[in-house]
Amino acid sequence: MILPYFENLVSGIETKLRDLEGTDEPRARKRFALEIARLGVRLFGGREPVAWCGVLAPFDLLSAMGVTSCFAEFVGAMLASTGGVEPMLAATEGTGYSTDGCSYHRAVTGATQQGLMPRPDFLVATSAPCTGGLAMMENLARHFDKEMFVIHIPTRDEPDVVGYLAGQLRELVRFVEVRTGRPLDRRRLAEAMERTNRTRELLLEVYELARSRPSPARRRDLFNFGLVVSLLLGTETAVDVARTYRDEFARRVAAGVGGVPGERVRLMWLQNRIQFRSPVEQLLEQAGVAVVVDEFNTVTWDSIDPDDPFEGIARRTLSIPLCRPAQRRIDLLQRLARDYQVDGVINPCHWGCRQGTGMRGLVEEGMRQVGVPVLNLEVDCIDPRNFAPGQLVTRIEAFVELIEDRRGARDGG
Amino acid sequence: MADDTHYLGVDIGSLSCDAVLVDAWGEVVAWAVVPTGARNLEAIASARQQVLERAGLDANAPVSVVATGYGRSRVEDRLAAVTEITCHARGIQALLPGTTLLVDIGGQDSKAILLDSKGRVVEFAMNDKCAAGTGRFLEAMARAMQVELQQLGELDRLARSGSLTLSSMCTVFAESEVVSLVADGAEVPQIVGALHRAIAARTQALVRRVCPDTAARAVAMSGGVARNLGVVRAIGSLLGCEIAVPPEPDTVGALGAALIARERAGA
Amino acid sequence: MSTERIGYTCAYTPLPLLHAAGFIPHRVLPTSAPQIPDLAGAYLHDNLCPHVKRVLDRVLAGDLPDDLTGLVIVNSCDAMRRLADALVGRSAAQVALVELPVCGGPAAVEFLTIELEQLQTRLCAWSGLPPSEDRLRQSIALYDELAGALDRLRERAIDGRLDGGFGALQASVNRAVTRPPEESLAELRRMPQQGGQGRRGVPIYLFGNLLADVEALELIESCGARVAGEDVCTGSRQLTGLGPAPDGPLLPWLADRMLARPPCARTLPERGGSELAALVVQGARRCGARGVVAHVLKFCDPYLARLPRVRQALRDASLPLLVLEGDCTLRSLGQHRTRIEAFIEMLD
Repeated sequence: MILPYFENLVSGIETKLRDLEGTDEPRARKRFALEIARLGVRLFGGREPVAWCGVLAPFDLLSAMGVTSCFAEFVGAMLASTGGVEPMLAATEGTGYSTDGCSYHRAVTGATQQGLMPRPDFLVATSAPCTGGLAMMENLARHFDKEMFVIHIPTRDEPDVVGYLAGQLRELVRFVEVRTGRPLDRRRLAEAMERTNRTRELLLEVYELARSRPSPARRRDLFNFGLVVSLLLGTETAVDVARTYRDEFARRVAAGVGGVPGERVRLMWLQNRIQFRSPVEQLLEQAGVAVVVDEFNTVTWDSIDPDDPFEGIARRTLSIPLCRPAQRRIDLLQRLARDYQVDGVINPCHWGCRQGTGMRGLVEEGMRQVGVPVLNLEVDCIDPRNFAPGQLVTRIEAFVELIEDRRGARDGG
Repeated sequence: MADDTHYLGVDIGSLSCDAVLVDAWGEVVAWAVVPTGARNLEAIASARQQVLERAGLDANAPVSVVATGYGRSRVEDRLAAVTEITCHARGIQALLPGTTLLVDIGGQDSKAILLDSKGRVVEFAMNDKCAAGTGRFLEAMARAMQVELQQLGELDRLARSGSLTLSSMCTVFAESEVVSLVADGAEVPQIVGALHRAIAARTQALVRRVCPDTAARAVAMSGGVARNLGVVRAIGSLLGCEIAVPPEPDTVGALGAALIARERAGA
Repeated sequence: MSTERIGYTCAYTPLPLLHAAGFIPHRVLPTSAPQIPDLAGAYLHDNLCPHVKRVLDRVLAGDLPDDLTGLVIVNSCDAMRRLADALVGRSAAQVALVELPVCGGPAAVEFLTIELEQLQTRLCAWSGLPPSEDRLRQSIALYDELAGALDRLRERAIDGRLDGGFGALQASVNRAVTRPPEESLAELRRMPQQGGQGRRGVPIYLFGNLLADVEALELIESCGARVAGEDVCTGSRQLTGLGPAPDGPLLPWLADRMLARPPCARTLPERGGSELAALVVQGARRCGARGVVAHVLKFCDPYLARLPRVRQALRDASLPLLVLEGDCTLRSLGQHRTRIEAFIEMLD
């Protein structure tokens, strides 16, 4: 069921891209979607070694070792976006999973129960970003009766912690070597890291360009981008995709063309987007509201030494605010708010999210300190069954009115 | 055990206090339903008095009492206080032998009980944190549609095959939603159909906690809501099975309590 | 004997280390005091571990001992991590966060050893006492003695030889974790050695995370249940004997023992180790229980995620399971009563 979906997606996008050749039509998002669909084909195709992972696993390291890897929550997002998630959630409710838990995890668990998750060769779990995710991974490992490597990611980033994490990554290499029967090829790894570094440079340019006024990013351009592009790191594909975005954004910025016509209000969106089809983004656009930055569309890490990447990868992991104390996340959000000149922040308080939604009040306080209002939306980003679009729209409209009032007052209205 | 000994089961619920009297052979002799009101003790006394009168017995006739329901600990002179879960299982097994799954939807809570051929509880699940789908919920909805509660069961038969769904199960919000639907001109039978489907969906979730596969099971329903055949049909449709409803479905707990009194006193 | 306290919130806290640094370890329990306002949800979120929220509420309300110098929070789960975040800058006491690895193994033990060294340094900076192997050795022995005394008290409760049963046991445990260990030991020695009314009720195995309310345990027993075995973090997992300390360096040994103690569901078993479901079946069988009662706080992801496999394993072992969801208040006790009574009637 899922493999044909990805295969059709691949051929559909390939056709569309061929049609766009020689034109000036935007294509960066399609390129990105194509490569993710190709990843889907590899994951569900059953022809390559596959590893289900936690969100902060080192995907470029794994791909350099010939393993196709992906964070399991990706399947939850994909099911929600295609309208196929409800039976998965219902399946878990029937087997006693509490509906208080995160629906990303429940969707994956349900898909597993329904036999839709491909059997991995092994699993690589990460203790961050969340406890619930780690628990889901343990359940997956037991269901598939496959071995799981667990990476413990502490919340500090001092040298001793970097060393500890780097040591675990070296252990991971040994774990993978034994299970794939292929020793690590140092040169392949170095090349992959070089591509990671080049992608990083291009991503920095993309994000820098995205800061322009008006923002060159169209409504869906950077939706799910930062988190998902990490799946492609280490490959030439990632470099291509990042370059395509860079070039496209650069053209638009040079021409003074905005992604959202009539941009009036600039917002930052935290954590994750609503993955199922919802009227939210269209409504925002109709009101001239542009989401100019998503929290995960940032580069927080330095380039990695290709010849000895383990410390660099460890530092990269520890640079991501998801695994750090709340203040680190708030610092980043304040910086993004300033850099992107946002008028407000939307915090989709995803149901069941303890690590992210669990600091709702602290985030609000942090944004208040820099004078940026926050709209908390109590939503479930994966489960459409409790979605009340009317209520959401009312809140968003009220928020936009608030912003425009404040602007009016500030400008001496 | 004297042949003239009788056994009384009293179920003190939030809305009504039900009493059932059985004889030494376990046959029902009389029953009574009294509104609980604010004073439990008065309701209990009244139910006991009524049932003895109807049985043609003296007010002081020897009676062994088992109490159930949330007010069970308030009944004095009782042989035992037994939970409504255990009592409902015993009661339904006597009324509809062979039942292995009982769905009880009362005034403000609902239960799913898996039972064996002797009426013993194998597993149970309760939903007593939320009134959605219970008797009170249906009362509120009937008011919002300005129909009688008793009419709901037949109204959905008039509905054309429905695609209307309620998005809210919270009693308060569902009421607002129903009022809006009525104001927008939606047909009452359609709304009733949607209500019944919503209750059935919640009930199905409760049932799945104790019984993953309901097809081909002998399923019964008890509680006041079981009088609403529309709900019964909707639940049966989702569970994929026929649902049997005994006459006087709200007295199943009291009957079970009476039978337990007979077992324990006679033993 | 010290008079300054260090607050803590997790059974994984290395109490001997706190004690050796010159403090009285003081468990900040999520007490049911209704007058403390519900503020934690505003700082964090409402749908978060009730234990964490209650602790935060107590801190915000100033409901902590006056002599509390600091708080040690173990990074056992997301909720604890967020608690530490909320406490920074909001409590007069200083906060130290201990990074607890999610499973054992040599690298984890090595890392935790460094964590313990850093914790020791901080604690000693707070107290002004220099780190001392001798004092740590003595504290380890003292807490082992205390754990042993409580274990024996638990045996008495299980056997029906303790007046007040598991309620009284929990009251003793709650006192033991909020007082100097020396005092607690003395009190336990002074307790009458006989009592109770013998084994009564249907034997059940109780497991889960927190269940510190004395009333809750009294309720369970009053419903006709007899707690024949227990694995709850405010009960038998709270104070566990570490074993005789080695002659060599203590911190690596302490780190190893911490990761090897009876686990909370947040700790993943090492490769080849038993999952929670297997441990529950083992525990229930070992004590001859006829049924299993799980008490889990709402929104606790580590336990909620494992319950389906626990349920299946118990079904396979023909052991009925009752799951009670708690919220650190006594409000839900009434609803629990009916469920527990029905469960006991079912087992009887």
